[in-house]
Amino acid sequence: MGELAEPHSMHAERGAPTPAFRVLVVDDDPDMCSFLARLLRQEGMSVDTAGDGHAAIVRVMTSPPDLILLDVMMPGPSGFDVCRELKGDEATALIPIVLVTTLEDQDSRVRGIEAGADDFLTKPVNREELLARVKTLRRLHETRRELEGRRLAAEIERKEAIRRAFSRYVAPRLAERIIHNLGENGGLFEGRAQRIDVVALFADLRGFTRLTERVEVGEVVEMLNEYFRVLTEAAYHNDGTIFNMAGDSLLVGFNVPFAQADAPIRAWRTAREMVSRFAPIAALWEERTGFGTGVGIGICAGEAIIGNIGSPHYMSYTVIGNPVNVAARLMQMAAADEVLICGPLYGQLKGLLPAGGVQARGDVTLRGRSEPIPVYSIKITPGAS
Amino acid sequence: MPEVVVTVAKDLEDLIPVFFKNRHKEVEALRAALGAGDFPQLAQLGHRMKGVGNSYGFELVSVLGKRIEDAAKAADGALIDASIAEYADYLANVKVVYG
Repeated sequence: MGELAEPHSMHAERGAPTPAFRVLVVDDDPDMCSFLARLLRQEGMSVDTAGDGHAAIVRVMTSPPDLILLDVMMPGPSGFDVCRELKGDEATALIPIVLVTTLEDQDSRVRGIEAGADDFLTKPVNREELLARVKTLRRLHETRRELEGRRLAAEIERKEAIRRAFSRYVAPRLAERIIHNLGENGGLFEGRAQRIDVVALFADLRGFTRLTERVEVGEVVEMLNEYFRVLTEAAYHNDGTIFNMAGDSLLVGFNVPFAQADAPIRAWRTAREMVSRFAPIAALWEERTGFGTGVGIGICAGEAIIGNIGSPHYMSYTVIGNPVNVAARLMQMAAADEVLICGPLYGQLKGLLPAGGVQARGDVTLRGRSEPIPVYSIKITPGAS
Repeated sequence: MPEVVVTVAKDLEDLIPVFFKNRHKEVEALRAALGAGDFPQLAQLGHRMKGVGNSYGFELVSVLGKRIEDAAKAADGALIDASIAEYADYLANVKVVYG
């Protein structure tokens, strides 16, 4: 029925720089909208207006404001209805709503509170009271936004610190996935142990014990660090998970903790890279000490148990089972720059292994096992593709 | 009714012509609703007057609005008729100064 002094608009003021604080005024009386909008704009706020409850909800959903001034008695959905709907929606529940109404009786206030209103303003509107209430809510809003910003920054920093620390234990890409899944139900390190097919790779340094007799203790540590650096680089390059590092041996798992359909191939590539990456270091060591070294590797595939094993005081994310034991025995048998693999794994890798480079060792009874298993040997020439 | 002087905030000055245009339309709407015996509509119109009048500084608009809303709820056509007449008279005699 009324003519609009400042039309019910679905747009903020055009041409003006966008102020940080945005208010949506909802009233079916255009003069009331114009009045409220004028006072708020004078305070540097950006104001949108809506003439009924339906338009208000659309406006909030498409361009959420920082505050809503909401009339109660309107054609269509009442202010109570709009308030209830917005407060019931997770996406809009935190937007403060001030009910602006001529209804002063206790019953209406109770209905407003039940609908989730944050504050009330009585018509006719007193401009000082209006501005005081809006400014208070604005301060609360800005404080909340600042706290939320700080919380997010702290959360990002915390995750980054975890990622940096964690990346020293697992491949960086795995670390990213693990951090991404933190907090989800059944997270990686919260569940029970489980049986899964894994490919276990054990690597060990051949000739190192003899070599250590010729160098200082401090130098031994530096040499081991150099050796482990290139082995872990090879493991991480193929997204392997390092489970154990003891003495001069290293245990790497594939298809764990996340599925890798090409786990056997990754394990084979890792073995090849370990030998190739270590070869220049071995050459330097030999030049310095006169002793030759090399990496001996055992790989086996099969079902293993994966999980957090230990006590409440000390836990270890561990892989145990037959393929791990067999890989360890194969590693002990392997010469420098030799990879020994178990029969089932050979079947999966046959096409990838160097033609004529595989030697069948026949069925071998490994220490601690009653049944012999087929074993295959691949001698790796560093640098060969 | 003699001339009634109302002081309105200077920053609302450009809104006042439209405000009065709408008030005059409101008088016509009130008369039409009373003629039709539409008391819910009269209550709605009175409710609006009550809210907007004194927000701009026109206290009598709010007072008459409340009277019309209450009378509509009581279906008191005579009181509404008198209030509409007083409203029209007021609009004809109100003089706005800005300050």
